[in-house]
Amino acid sequence: MRFLIRFAVRVALLGLAFVAQAQEWKAPTAMKKLANGLVVVVSEDHSAPTFGLCLSYGIGFRLEPEGRTGFAHLFEHMMFEGTPVSPKGVFDRVIEGGGGFNNGDTRYDFTEYIESGPISVLEPMLWLEADRMKALDFSVKNLDNQRNVVEEEVRVNVLNQPYGSFYWLDLPQKAFDTYPNSHNFYGDFKDLDAANIEDVKKFYQQYYVPNNAVLAIVGDVNTADVFAKVEKYLASVPAGPPPKQADFSEPAQKSERRFTETDKLANVPALAIGYRMPPRTSPDAIVGAVTAELLHNGDASILYQALVKEKQVAASVGGGDNWPLGNAFEYNGPTLMTSFIVYPDKVSLNQVLSAYDATIAELAKKGPTREQVERIAAKMRSDWYDNLEIPINRASALSHAVLFEGSFDSVYEIPDRVAKVTPEQVKNFAAKYLVPSNRTIINRVPAPPDKTAATGGAQ
Amino acid sequence: MTTCSMKTMKRLVTFILALVFAAAAHAQKEQPLPKDLPSYGPQPALQLPDVRASRLDNGLTVWLVAQPGLPKISFSIAVLGGLANDPANRPGMSELLSRTITQGTKTRGAKQIAEEIQAAGGDLNADANRDRTVISTSVLSSKGEAAVSLLADVLENASFPDNEVTLAKSNLSESLREREAQPGFQANRALARVLFGTGPYSVISPTQDSVAQMNAAELRQEYARRFRPDQALLVAVGDFDPARMSALIRDKLAGWKAPATSPATVNAKPAVPAPHSAYFVARPHSVQTTLVLAAFGPLRGDPDYEAAEVANAVYGGTFSSRLVANIREDKGYTYSPGSGVQTLRQAGIVRTQADVRNAVTGASLNEIDYELNRMVTTSPTEEELSRAKRFLLGIEAISLQSRDSVAAELASLWLNGLPPDGISTYGKKVNAATPEDVDAAAKKYWPASRMTIVAVGEEKVIREALAPFGLPVEAVK
Repeated sequence: MRFLIRFAVRVALLGLAFVAQAQEWKAPTAMKKLANGLVVVVSEDHSAPTFGLCLSYGIGFRLEPEGRTGFAHLFEHMMFEGTPVSPKGVFDRVIEGGGGFNNGDTRYDFTEYIESGPISVLEPMLWLEADRMKALDFSVKNLDNQRNVVEEEVRVNVLNQPYGSFYWLDLPQKAFDTYPNSHNFYGDFKDLDAANIEDVKKFYQQYYVPNNAVLAIVGDVNTADVFAKVEKYLASVPAGPPPKQADFSEPAQKSERRFTETDKLANVPALAIGYRMPPRTSPDAIVGAVTAELLHNGDASILYQALVKEKQVAASVGGGDNWPLGNAFEYNGPTLMTSFIVYPDKVSLNQVLSAYDATIAELAKKGPTREQVERIAAKMRSDWYDNLEIPINRASALSHAVLFEGSFDSVYEIPDRVAKVTPEQVKNFAAKYLVPSNRTIINRVPAPPDKTAATGGAQ
Repeated sequence: MTTCSMKTMKRLVTFILALVFAAAAHAQKEQPLPKDLPSYGPQPALQLPDVRASRLDNGLTVWLVAQPGLPKISFSIAVLGGLANDPANRPGMSELLSRTITQGTKTRGAKQIAEEIQAAGGDLNADANRDRTVISTSVLSSKGEAAVSLLADVLENASFPDNEVTLAKSNLSESLREREAQPGFQANRALARVLFGTGPYSVISPTQDSVAQMNAAELRQEYARRFRPDQALLVAVGDFDPARMSALIRDKLAGWKAPATSPATVNAKPAVPAPHSAYFVARPHSVQTTLVLAAFGPLRGDPDYEAAEVANAVYGGTFSSRLVANIREDKGYTYSPGSGVQTLRQAGIVRTQADVRNAVTGASLNEIDYELNRMVTTSPTEEELSRAKRFLLGIEAISLQSRDSVAAELASLWLNGLPPDGISTYGKKVNAATPEDVDAAAKKYWPASRMTIVAVGEEKVIREALAPFGLPVEAVK
């Protein structure tokens, strides 16, 4: 059992801030591993009498079985459907009756369960998290109910919306070749319909074990007290066989991939471009994170300035590294940097793409200026602090870092790592990764009026 | 005639479902909590922001909240006047104004503004709704001075360059076409029209026609009229020394002058109750119906506002609420049901919404109707009431965790004519709401017979689903 505490180092405004740029901020954070393998991270924050909690399990889209697309997310819903001890409804009654809220998120490489509330509801929540880590209700009725709810979720976010989330749902399916990285993460309805209670049991036994989870708690707490309570409620959950390490590697991409989709609901054409990014552990990864933000973050970004303001070929530009389902620091397998561009009818695809290509080519040839890199470093520091300010978000960041790296250090080091990236590195990164043979493009155009047949890829 | 018999049928259907559901609901409510579940700790008091309120000689209201710690400052500047104040022949002009106010001043170009705020760690966001325009940013605290200088320049010297306005018009037109494909937008636009007729609150966005007609000269004129210090609030929340921040704000903003004319006001108060009718927006290829049911509710400052919030939390404002338990967790009709008490300065709205698959459109409306009426007939249980109150207070405490949302919350109080200690008053009133208060609010605002229904989706599906309700059904855009 390891017990590790690192104390706050708050350098800024203490006369030590000799580097004008840096305004470092860290929060006191401690980590402990229980005998059953559950890792617990605590960060005290006494600025409000509240807490945020994130319990991440090392299971995401990539690991869902073939023939069961969308299952990791459907399973996430089942975690709220009661246990033998706490029937359906108890979980929400307790957290909301205590003044808090809860949610769950399924992503490529983790599924997280998050709660926030006044500090007075933390202890019952720890008990309830332990309870649903021990056993679930495995009710067929509730599975049927949540299957309906999830299918409505797919309808409201995909099938009934213009663009149908194609920039995150369809793009990876085209950009990657192996099942883990390239299936329908929300789930084909035939797979959702086929999911049965045995699947739920098996998935639960395989992945929902304490030795595959990281629990982070941030807020108005005493660290030793939280460790004691976690020990009290969660140490008795038995460890399971450790989930097997899976291979998510992709065969190399050889050439550019282009696709066209028609959209019965959209009025305006849109384009998604995805470049394969380096593995999270590569030294290039941090440069990729900065490059993606230089290109996409806000009105000063390179793509907004070039496509919307100067060349006026796009109405809007968005995107980023591991966008929009996460950030550049929370993936653990093949990942894309995505640009999502909405462009007017009067502009042709070729016009948008040549403007886009010219912008990327210039970055790869000249690199960004020193000022551009300093500005984006300030922006990323500022955005990251906003993220860490809110306890539930800090808990998420800490828990994901520990899940992927076994350490939370990166959470507080990211702004400084970003600030060290040079214009030369960005230039080299663009020349190496932002090339046509490393990308996939989907052009999504409104279906011609009065035709009902369409081939939207999100079906 | 037809209407009459349909109504009877609807009542009957509702009654039968009511009986069936009441049994299930009763059983569920009685379930005791697990015996080993630890009880709640003592509920902490709301930790309220310590607001230093002042006013500059030019009339600008300044609310400062010093929060040492994280090296960030959030700024929010609220200016009275939004879409409700736009010229009648330029509906939605505030949206173009908020898109262009950041696109140039007498001394700064659009790109320079974008780069300066990014260097400070922020974005410059400008957002207009029906009542106001808010300009906000969140920067590193070492860059507080740069941010205030830039904000002051935008507030006093925005120039609306012709080329930027032309480009913004074109992109606003595209953005409008994009939004017009979204069912949620269609529902909200239709709802504003049917609730407010042709009144100032009937507009939530420009139209293609109005965008085409807008020009830079009009924007400059509206800006000069509307952006005046005596109609504005500046909130700063974060890691700063209050005396230095005060001096900085005085230094940069004391020169902002209000025009001699008195500020324009608009009467947007709805004169007639919302119609108890059904409207639909035909949206071919929809696989769901987007339902919104709404009626007028309390204003933010009304004595029964907090009681209505409690009633809303019992009804559909939480995950463990009646509506969600019914149409999501029991029936599985929808992923996204919910309800809310929305407050504009001169009108309150209670609303219910859900996106439901086509096949259960009628069944969902029936259940919503049933739950609305159950708020009138069936008082909340003790547990429901205490859960609702604690939930509202807890969510308030959570919203005070971040500098951005403290700034937004304070701006919202000011816009509704409330003092900076409105947060603490809210907490006290929520706690003080008696079962009788909550019942009274529910009886006043929740009856299904008060609701205007808006449905967006396939026309045939909606017409069939609405038929048994016996309400007038009208197409709307």
